[in-house]
Amino acid sequence: MTTAPTATRAPAEWAEAFTEANNTDPEIQAHGKYLTTTWLLDAGELSYAIKLESGKVTDVTVDPGPLDVPYQFAIRAGADTWREFGQSVPKPMFHGIWAASFQRDMRLEGDVLVLMQNLRCITRQIELLRVIGSPV
Amino acid sequence: MNKISPVTGHYVTIEVDGLEYKVFYLENGSGQPLVCQHTAGAHNHQWRGLLEDEEITANYRVIAYDLPRHGKSDPPENTEWWKEEYKLSADHFVNFIVALCDALDLEDPLFMGSSFGGNVALQLALRHPDRFGGVLAVEGADYSPGFYLDWWQHPHANAAQICASGTWDLMAPQSPEADRWKTWFYYSQGSEAFKGDLHFYSVDHDLRGRLHEIDGDKCPVVMLTGEYDYLTTPEDSARTAGEIKNGSFINMPQIGHFPMSENHDRFRVHLLEALDALQRVKANA
Repeated sequence: MTTAPTATRAPAEWAEAFTEANNTDPEIQAHGKYLTTTWLLDAGELSYAIKLESGKVTDVTVDPGPLDVPYQFAIRAGADTWREFGQSVPKPMFHGIWAASFQRDMRLEGDVLVLMQNLRCITRQIELLRVIGSPV
Repeated sequence: MNKISPVTGHYVTIEVDGLEYKVFYLENGSGQPLVCQHTAGAHNHQWRGLLEDEEITANYRVIAYDLPRHGKSDPPENTEWWKEEYKLSADHFVNFIVALCDALDLEDPLFMGSSFGGNVALQLALRHPDRFGGVLAVEGADYSPGFYLDWWQHPHANAAQICASGTWDLMAPQSPEADRWKTWFYYSQGSEAFKGDLHFYSVDHDLRGRLHEIDGDKCPVVMLTGEYDYLTTPEDSARTAGEIKNGSFINMPQIGHFPMSENHDRFRVHLLEALDALQRVKANA
């Protein structure tokens, strides 16, 4: 099964769609009570600092400046990789942060312990891209 | 709805390398024994679809055991195991499987394992070609480094969820969601054994340069790997099978690292093909 690329939204619209998808997702809302952090989605040409409080996205900063928004960990990959994540059925090796880190150009950086402490909900957040489309 | 499954459970007590184990296994069917090993950190419910597969159990006696420290098989009965770090070795894993087959008086059994079970299938073919009628190595390779990680038991994080969500990406997005979540659930139960299992998977198992020693006439090897497996990729398994005499490889589209557990309906098609291939090699040998 292949799918057409999802039309890329403007960054501000994507941030809004991500916020809505996260804050209404049954799994994240059922299990995200302690999901409080800020993490950086880095797509090279574009990045988003995503602030979470008790499982809710409370702020998304598009392209934060060098010292604008402190974040605890970053998930970085080239724009092409993120575009593959934004397919409704991603191809092999673009179907998760572990897969793309082991086999493609994704990098998990910063305080990875915080990522691991919240792995269930972050994994689900990344899968929301299959619905809302690529961030870039 | 009341329905009693034909699958039955038993315990058998065996001794392996001086350790006494009370081993739990599920079985169903009749015919040539097909002995099934679950993946690292999991248990025999991963084979739930196969155990109730009417076509396969009509021709094979499917036996799916819990490796000690998994599911209903306890750690050793006769040692203070809690005073040592669990690190599974190739020697002990192989000796365990042979001792179990001996204890059950299995004649000419086939062995099938996935992930670290696929890797130990290769070890069995190398070391005990006379004891097995053939092996099916699912998601296996000659060498699979990179997964012996401290994260599986990090005291500052929830090990159950890290093991379960850390293996989530090993499954294909096409696999039924309910089956993926069952597999996730099994992984939430096995964190204490998972890392020690991976000592075998990523450290002690290394058959690079030795695959040509496998007697593929006596013990045919068929390998099957899903295209969404990022740990042991189809390329890794194809390369491995290519270096084994009579070895063959089956690529499984839209499947990941836990075929029998994430999507038995899709896996069984390839499994039937693999069983045919294995019996053909055996008949021609």
